[in-house]
Amino acid sequence: MTGSLLSPREHDEVLAAEHVLGVADQSERSATEARMRADPAFAALVVAWERRLAGLNDGFRHGPSTDLLPRIEARLFPLPAVAAAKAGRGQGLLRWLAGMAVALALFLLGIATLAPPRPVLVATLATPDHRLAYEVRSFGPTLRVTRTAGVPAMEGQVHELWVIAPDAAPVSLGLLDARPLEVDYPVPPPGWILAVSIEPEGGSATGLPTGPLILTARLGDST
Amino acid sequence: MSDDRAADLIKRCAAQDRAAFRALYRGSVAKLMGVMLRILKDRAAAEDALQEAYIRIWQRAGSYDPAKGPGMAWLVAIARNLAIDRLRARAETLNDPGPVATGDEAARTQAPIPAPEEVCRIGDCLATLEPDGAAAVRHAYLDGLSYLDLAAQHGVPLNIMRNRLRHDLLKLRECLDQ
Repeated sequence: MTGSLLSPREHDEVLAAEHVLGVADQSERSATEARMRADPAFAALVVAWERRLAGLNDGFRHGPSTDLLPRIEARLFPLPAVAAAKAGRGQGLLRWLAGMAVALALFLLGIATLAPPRPVLVATLATPDHRLAYEVRSFGPTLRVTRTAGVPAMEGQVHELWVIAPDAAPVSLGLLDARPLEVDYPVPPPGWILAVSIEPEGGSATGLPTGPLILTARLGDST
Repeated sequence: MSDDRAADLIKRCAAQDRAAFRALYRGSVAKLMGVMLRILKDRAAAEDALQEAYIRIWQRAGSYDPAKGPGMAWLVAIARNLAIDRLRARAETLNDPGPVATGDEAARTQAPIPAPEEVCRIGDCLATLEPDGAAAVRHAYLDGLSYLDLAAQHGVPLNIMRNRLRHDLLKLRECLDQ
């Protein structure tokens, strides 16, 4: 049998199976992932193959123990800025700060129960000429990203928002299209970077930016 | 970790339950580390990819659909996909010829896969293929071999390897869907 003898339906089946098996090269894999985002029927073929071949998963033995949880959690759930900046200083100072923090928390709780939380500007991501700008504001545990100038990415593309911890790979916070993006994420500590890249429709398939970073903002020590 | 437990924890992750995420990590990390290490071979690369996998798991937990398969299989699919992406990217940047071929004999004598019903079914269906074909499927799935690697290992031109494997995959589907 040669490739040319496959019917279109068989060809899609084979493409889906090859993707799950992982035998294709990187450019074919990217093309297949783009197709999955654009074509739900094709994506369903891929899921069906994942199911068919899942019986082979028992062939994977357990790996050696490794504790990556602290690093993963530090990237997913960064500490509030004050705790991160003050960690590692003297114990006495820490205790004093803890006491102050409790007092402050009680005070803020008093205010919070009287008034709804107000959005706080976390960062502005803008081109130098401000033709394209996004504002990142925090509402309690949520970040809301609103485009305040410019237009969404051209058709077939999308703006994707990333948060980058020092010396770490970017983590996607979501896609920026016509509506504001709301994501459950705390205010990143000073020194972290927010960035916007241009990605194919549906967002980066690799978990990392694949297109150019068009906007970046480093969180200042004052935020 | 049982599948129901994994599926339940994934659903709770989708609701931003961090305790569930910890439990999911503890219950699955040994398996996923096994996947990363088998495909990427190198401990540091495996740990790096594993971190990304759990970040993806947390971020995509909302897209998990229990109707489409057990929780553990979903986790392994994310890990494998990421590991293979890393492997292919590495091959491209280093112009790496890929993992060293281990020879047909090693592929054929790999330990048969044990028990559960699903495993028996795929095992039975693989047994309907030529031994070389079954070894290629198993090897690609578990070790992340590309068409290029398989062709080198089986000593055949790339297009022949591709056509044979495609033929076998269609045959496999017929058997598995019965």
